[in-house]
Amino acid sequence: MTGRIAIAVLRARLYAQRRVVFYASVAAFVAGFVQPEGLAAPLFLCSLLGITTALAQSPGLHPHLDSCEQSAPLFGRHLARAKALVPCVAATLAVGLYAVAQALRVMPHVPTTFVVALGAVLAATLTALSATIRRGASRVLYIALAAGVAVAAYALVAKAHSLVAELLVCAIVAFLALRQYGEALGRYDPI
Amino acid sequence: MPLLRMREATFVAGEAFAGPMTLDVEFGERAALHFASAREAAIVARLAAAVVKASDGCVLVGDYDPHVQSVACKRIAALVPHEPFPLTESEFARYVEYRAELWNLEPRRARADAAELRRQLTGMHEALAYPLIGALIGGPKLLVLDRPQPVYAQQILTAAGQCAVLSTHDNAASARAFAPKALHFLKVIES
Repeated sequence: MTGRIAIAVLRARLYAQRRVVFYASVAAFVAGFVQPEGLAAPLFLCSLLGITTALAQSPGLHPHLDSCEQSAPLFGRHLARAKALVPCVAATLAVGLYAVAQALRVMPHVPTTFVVALGAVLAATLTALSATIRRGASRVLYIALAAGVAVAAYALVAKAHSLVAELLVCAIVAFLALRQYGEALGRYDPI
Repeated sequence: MPLLRMREATFVAGEAFAGPMTLDVEFGERAALHFASAREAAIVARLAAAVVKASDGCVLVGDYDPHVQSVACKRIAALVPHEPFPLTESEFARYVEYRAELWNLEPRRARADAAELRRQLTGMHEALAYPLIGALIGGPKLLVLDRPQPVYAQQILTAAGQCAVLSTHDNAASARAFAPKALHFLKVIES
């Protein structure tokens, strides 16, 4: 039941946001081709793309989908997991295409860069999701938190040289962000 | 046992305010509510459909409390939002499939029901008919209409069949259109 819903939400939202996903993927591929070196470009650019696709889940952009989901007989946490899949898939696609471009430029450590960037991007994306159902200062705060997650992940890898710590922190942040989004969506009153 | 029971139901969120509302809607009954503002009409429609939860007082949809059993409430009540859905033919087909997935309906049956409802609503603007069709394919017991167009009142009530109908309006003439004397069990409640 939950898997069926997740696939339905993923299909519907990816179709509705196909242009955003396409442009994000193209931007990541071009950036990977132009700037294949280092970790900063994939991590920060793809985090930005992930945050953008997360914010594209905000109510009002696709009213027929919003209305359908708000009145559907689903628990908030189920809907949250399904909706979270959408920007995560888009962000993973962007990171993947960046890695493909790097591989085409025959850069070393492509798999490591991919894993490090993906961890940070998913954590930032899931954190930004909570901003979609908030307004004003709290919305800005969640976007800033998402950016902060990307910066912290970069610092852990580039400055502290700890790949394990980066992945662990990103996994914890992603888990907490998804739980927080589910609880907030359950309490959300779409007025 | 009423299908919808409101007792001093109040909704407050920032500047959005509605109520207190006291109301019973029985099975098969039709009620049209007139409010001073469009926002209040929109909020009460969402309260009745369990899309938002009362800040104070009590709302029961088919004996279920939206605060704890919102999934059960949403299987009983379906909301038709005021905003039209400007979808193309193919987007509408996707929308019907999406609703079928979220409501766990058999897709072929949902498509057939949607086609039959479109036939019944011939002459009604598609953008207004689509949300109504979407709401009815789930087989709700209570249809909640947020400020429906009075010009289509007869068609909407006919399409609703045996389903109880609660409509909210921001003008009295529109409310009266959903409570003509020719139809039984209709009432206009001035708040």
